[in-house]
Amino acid sequence: MIDRLRRILRVARWETARAGGGVDRRTLLAALALLSVAGVVLGGGLAAGVVGIDVDRDVYRVGVDPGSPYADAVEAEPSLTPVSADRATLGETADLVVLDAERGGADREVAVIASDTRKGEAAAAEFRAAVEAHNERLMATEENATAAFPVTVSLRYASRTTPLDDGATLGGADGGGGGGGSSGGSDGDEATGDGSGEGGDTGDTGGTGTRDSTGTGDSAGQEDSGLAVPSIGGGAFGAGTVGTPGAIAPPFPFASLLLAFAFLVPMNFLIQAYGSSVLDERTNRRGEPLLVTPLSPAEIVAGKTLPYVAAAVLVTAAIAVAVGGGVLSVVAVLPIAATFLAATFVGAMFARSFKELTFVTVGVSVFLTTYAFVPAIFTNVTPVALVSPLTLVVFDLQDEAVSLGEALFSTTPMALGAALLYGLGIGVYREEDLFTQKPVARKFLDALAVRLSAVEPDSLGAIASRDRLRPLASVALLTACTIPFVFVAELLAVAVLFALPVTVSIPVLLVVIAFIEELAKSVHLYAGFERGVFARTDRVAVAVGLASGAGFFLAEKATAVVQAVGLTELYVGRAAFGSVAGVEGLPVGVLVALLFAPLLLHGVATTVAAMGASRGRTRYALALALAALIHAAYNFAVVSVHG
Amino acid sequence: MIEVAGLRKTYGDFAAVVDSSFSVDEGEVFGIVGPNGAGKTTTLKVLAGLVDPTDGDVEVAGFRSDDPEMRRRLGFLPEESPLYEEMTPRSYLRFFADLYDVPGDVADERIAAALDRLELDHRERRLGDMSKGMKRKVAIARSLVNDPDVLVYDEPASGLDPVTTNSVLAFTRELRATGKTVVFSAHNLYHVESVCDRVVVMNEGRIVARGSVDGIRERHGETTYHVYTDVAPSRVDQPTGPLSDVDATTEAVGDRFRTTVPDMDAVEAVREAVAAAGGEVVDIRTREPSLEDVFLDIVGRPMPGRYAGDAAAEGPE
Repeated sequence: MIDRLRRILRVARWETARAGGGVDRRTLLAALALLSVAGVVLGGGLAAGVVGIDVDRDVYRVGVDPGSPYADAVEAEPSLTPVSADRATLGETADLVVLDAERGGADREVAVIASDTRKGEAAAAEFRAAVEAHNERLMATEENATAAFPVTVSLRYASRTTPLDDGATLGGADGGGGGGGSSGGSDGDEATGDGSGEGGDTGDTGGTGTRDSTGTGDSAGQEDSGLAVPSIGGGAFGAGTVGTPGAIAPPFPFASLLLAFAFLVPMNFLIQAYGSSVLDERTNRRGEPLLVTPLSPAEIVAGKTLPYVAAAVLVTAAIAVAVGGGVLSVVAVLPIAATFLAATFVGAMFARSFKELTFVTVGVSVFLTTYAFVPAIFTNVTPVALVSPLTLVVFDLQDEAVSLGEALFSTTPMALGAALLYGLGIGVYREEDLFTQKPVARKFLDALAVRLSAVEPDSLGAIASRDRLRPLASVALLTACTIPFVFVAELLAVAVLFALPVTVSIPVLLVVIAFIEELAKSVHLYAGFERGVFARTDRVAVAVGLASGAGFFLAEKATAVVQAVGLTELYVGRAAFGSVAGVEGLPVGVLVALLFAPLLLHGVATTVAAMGASRGRTRYALALALAALIHAAYNFAVVSVHG
Repeated sequence: MIEVAGLRKTYGDFAAVVDSSFSVDEGEVFGIVGPNGAGKTTTLKVLAGLVDPTDGDVEVAGFRSDDPEMRRRLGFLPEESPLYEEMTPRSYLRFFADLYDVPGDVADERIAAALDRLELDHRERRLGDMSKGMKRKVAIARSLVNDPDVLVYDEPASGLDPVTTNSVLAFTRELRATGKTVVFSAHNLYHVESVCDRVVVMNEGRIVARGSVDGIRERHGETTYHVYTDVAPSRVDQPTGPLSDVDATTEAVGDRFRTTVPDMDAVEAVREAVAAAGGEVVDIRTREPSLEDVFLDIVGRPMPGRYAGDAAAEGPE
């Protein structure tokens, strides 16, 4: 073990020297200088409070008596600069003057005079908004919030026209929190919340209500935590914010999201260097001598990858420190970095030229950035956001607690996916594949086939022995290994479709999921038949089909983790991942049948696909479509019955 | 030292090597010859553990070819050996020595000795700035950093200038003198003849001949006689003359005529025919078959990429 580690470190040291030597000093110095200048400008700007923050500060001068109740409103609005009403001259030293005089008792006479210019009109509008905001704040301090913000609720009952409950459409899932009251409109009910912040009155996702109740507004977060984030964007949103609906800003964690995005930027540069290094080994057979050393392919790849992982850790940690993130941010970003590197590694293993590698790295960059960033936009809206580990970074930057289950849910699929991608790539890190110029699709099939053991009709005897089952076990294991990718793909489908009307999203989702799963269960079977690992007989096709279905069934149970984070609270989440809710009280026989029905489905559908795979590409495509249809029909049946 | 039994390697439907068996003794220089696509390189890569055989058993230095320990006993020189061009010869060789767990001082000593012997002076120059011959020498030195028992060289002198070629071939002969076992492939037969004790001839994935170079020559080639005369061939080669039953070909060479015959009886027949025509035999020379001729005899087609110096392989006349 120590010897192995030592050899890996030797390769890593050499790779570091190579990577460093690949960039000439002038370029390096220029890049460092550029980064330094950017850092100084940004840092200086932040320190001076001029970068991205309050660019409309002190725009209008307002003459107001310091003793006037309006002085506080003016003082609180950054765009307004109070000047003494006594010294204010309209049009010269002030754009607007507030004349406020007591008439005796509680009566006051107030006159607001703006200069007769466009700036004066704008100042008046800004002053009006400032006073309204000031009043909102005063009302919010009232103990009796209901009295401060009375709400009239008009209910109209309408008969349901669809069997599917679309009341949980996710635009309103954030009903928790103060603003939740307004979210129920999506189901057609004209209901407005009471604004009390006591959970969503539409009754959808209580989990998010809790999340929101901790205060998601950027300004609030900044004030509470002292987080050095620019106060870009609107006001706070959540239970801590009380006000009229018009004062509520969307739950968009702009500043935190922007800072979280900073973690992704260096990955794009890292994979360029990494991909080039891997492909460089393949160019002109340069890496062949390494393959005849005592190092295994895994050790070579580990050694070559280690410097880039170390760079990712260092850069991530540095960014975390710079933006005020903690350990959670680093832990959350590492699976993303690993997936960036793993996908690039596989791409570089499959690419035939640097031109193809460019497409690979751009593809990896765009896809993974989208996958990480887009769900994180909905951090404060829906648990779907936890699909992306970047959501954990946003939580971290907002100083919000994250449970272990949420952290595992968010990071495990990507981490496992990265590991499996490396397994896929290392499978073809051998002379026969490393230096040959095959199309990407053929290399992909090679990479899958290399993980399979030969299955011949003779090896499928009536008596199951360890030797006879081993090839089928390798089929089941490889199928099980696709689960993280299936999971990621299905989560992505949920994330893409969740905002659509349920009548559209659910059918599409069920078909998409059926196709994803059938493809995952059968593509390696097709590779096995195409590469001659499996004999092209019906008997072998049935055997590997059933083995693959069983492997998927067993591994699929791991997705039960989604229950821990509340994803099945969403309708599309239940449709995608199922739920055990509602089965209480059913007879044992029915429960057992429900438990094993998916096994039957996977076995049958995958056998259909395997039969096609054993007969060539066209038959496989047709059989795959048929298997997906069978699977989709099953999904519809389950959703219709089980809801 | 090397045992290969029933080796078969297929790529899909294509059989690169078919039922190949041979053994190599310790301290022997063993040649594998054949045209491009004959299966030489695939065989060598199986020996080096780079390619897994589809079928058959391969043992090198007492280890199966897929045993990592075997790799410690083996030095491999691929046909093409692009190096890491940003490195210097010394740093490149030290890196590989590290991978073989060679202690630093021992590695420095070996590297210096190999580069001295290969007469490579520019040891701190970037490999990217070196000539092809210099890079080849560095690659050869790399194959020696772990002091292997077995060396597998694939076309070690391919594409090099004559001076470097001779240097590489001489170095290979020296390796035999130090007790190393060398398996050496080439499609240039002169290279093989000059260094190998035994050879196998491969064609289309199969071994079609084997043995010592002289043995193969005896079995598959024939000594011929060139009889030079001063009379016109038309007068020598009469239908009813002494050569009417002799397998002879005649061609003009300058102001003489050269008749090629297979044995001494035929030589006598030519002498009689020339005398009858009023001429005389002015010279008789023997010609030993080259490996090129042997190959032509075995596979029915000439070797590609014939080396310009192959004339040197022709036997004394």
